[in-house]
Amino acid sequence: MEALATPKGIIITRSPGDAAGQQWLTVNFGPQHPSTHGVLRLIVDLDGEIIRAAKPVIGYLHTGIEKQMEALRYQQGVVVTDRHDYLSPPINNLAYALAVERLMGVEATPRAQALRVIMCELTRISSHLVYLGTSSLELGALTAFFYCMRERDTILTMNEEISGFRMHTSYIRPGGLMADSTPRWLDMLDQFVTTMPAHIDQYEELLTQNPIWRSRTIGVGILSAADAVEYGGSGPMVRGSGLAWDLRKDEPYSGYEKYDFEVVTEQACDCYARYKVRVREMRESVKILRQALDTLPDGPINVDDRKMLPPPREELDTSMEAVIHHFKLFTEGYSPPAGDVYQAVESARGENGCYIVSDGTHKPRRVKFRSASFNNLQLVERMSVGSMIADLIAIIGTADTVLGDVDR
Amino acid sequence: MSKKKATKSTLEPLTVARGVGAGDDWVTVEVGDLREAMATLKSDGYKAYGFVTCVDHLPAEPRFELIYQVRDMDRKRQMRVRTFLPADQPSAPTVSDIYPPANWDERETFDLFGIDFEGHPDLTRILLPDDWVGHPLRRDYPVGGETVDFSEDHATWQTAPERA
Repeated sequence: MEALATPKGIIITRSPGDAAGQQWLTVNFGPQHPSTHGVLRLIVDLDGEIIRAAKPVIGYLHTGIEKQMEALRYQQGVVVTDRHDYLSPPINNLAYALAVERLMGVEATPRAQALRVIMCELTRISSHLVYLGTSSLELGALTAFFYCMRERDTILTMNEEISGFRMHTSYIRPGGLMADSTPRWLDMLDQFVTTMPAHIDQYEELLTQNPIWRSRTIGVGILSAADAVEYGGSGPMVRGSGLAWDLRKDEPYSGYEKYDFEVVTEQACDCYARYKVRVREMRESVKILRQALDTLPDGPINVDDRKMLPPPREELDTSMEAVIHHFKLFTEGYSPPAGDVYQAVESARGENGCYIVSDGTHKPRRVKFRSASFNNLQLVERMSVGSMIADLIAIIGTADTVLGDVDR
Repeated sequence: MSKKKATKSTLEPLTVARGVGAGDDWVTVEVGDLREAMATLKSDGYKAYGFVTCVDHLPAEPRFELIYQVRDMDRKRQMRVRTFLPADQPSAPTVSDIYPPANWDERETFDLFGIDFEGHPDLTRILLPDDWVGHPLRRDYPVGGETVDFSEDHATWQTAPERA
């Protein structure tokens, strides 16, 4: 389009100012700013210390993930899905895996579903821990960060035990899982579930009654429930405004309907309410983990479909069919029937969805990630206009955006 | 995922085609009826926004397919609206006044596909730099068409789309 011929960079027009002709001050905030959780840039119009406009400028972390997905076979794509929302890789894997499975018309085995739920809930806890640690750190409560990172490291070590990788696990794959759980991992999980409630009490001791934390978050970043829905919010952003909307309950997937947990809501609509939602959600996740661990079914972890998943290693020595399937899968891959599908899952940040268009070949025609961060970030301006510049840090923190997820 | 019968009669006169694919409800409308269809859906209860995106069907014609996904939170159902655009100067009316979060998704679709959204308040590139040439998610834009900034041949990337 013609707009491309303009000079490099964003053109900042002069801010309009108020009725008395007083000009507002336009301040550039970021992209290299420690409180932006990555590389978010905001162009802020200030009237004294009061924010009159805050325009997010994104794209600094754009890596063309959706373009890359079109060049990868369906099995290969799962590795890329780890990397957009880098704080919750298994949840992204799950959205992609469920979408591909629905295109292929298969359903994961009960054991795989339970292990998927466990991985997703562990990830939700670890992602909320990063939120809790970093946003309290930014508001001056340094101590909580160290406690949060301690438990997050336990979760990453568990990821390493089950998948060999600490962060980008690629553990959940179309058709099933990368590997079965190990006895050591189950022990670690049991230990984690037993000790985690006391750890959450520790974070709450540090923050819930902390006068500085309370004064920095209570009444800051007000967002009504109607606005949250109207302007595209999801996850803790709407639950902090009193709306009990959770895809795990409302559009259950991967067997979430079997677990007994509560959709946490808070009524206050401010940053403190969203903090409490996230802390209480961690407790609910621990509840789900305990139930999933106690009722973990036996059985295979992969669907019994040789067109989708490779045959067992031992069959390759004796069966020609198995060799052919193996060869076809690793050279060409599998081809879902033509069509499109949208699968949304509840990530730690809200609705993370995966929309896949298949044209009947072994590579997707289009993969779109509907990311919660991208949509929640649009709410930042809405929450921040009228508040003080110092509150902007609290508001960005409460939106809990992952810039990799925003820019994809 | 259980989905009930979704469309109301008010959307019926605008519908060109409808169906269910892999459990998802969808309707196709003419691009001229798009705004009316989206406003109808919103008043029918599909208040929550999903996403807006585009699919490039090169070499088929019509080449571009716009996808609008919305959700009814009370009745727990989703609806996907499709509309098709030609390869030459693809353009559609904006829905960012009906569904405000569509603002950024339409900018992204403009940025990556080159679809013009008429009436959009601020149709500028959102993910790529303002002086970027081409629209990378089009199927005729090569993967690897960009070299790394500050590398020796960094100046030549602008010719990459024509190489395809």
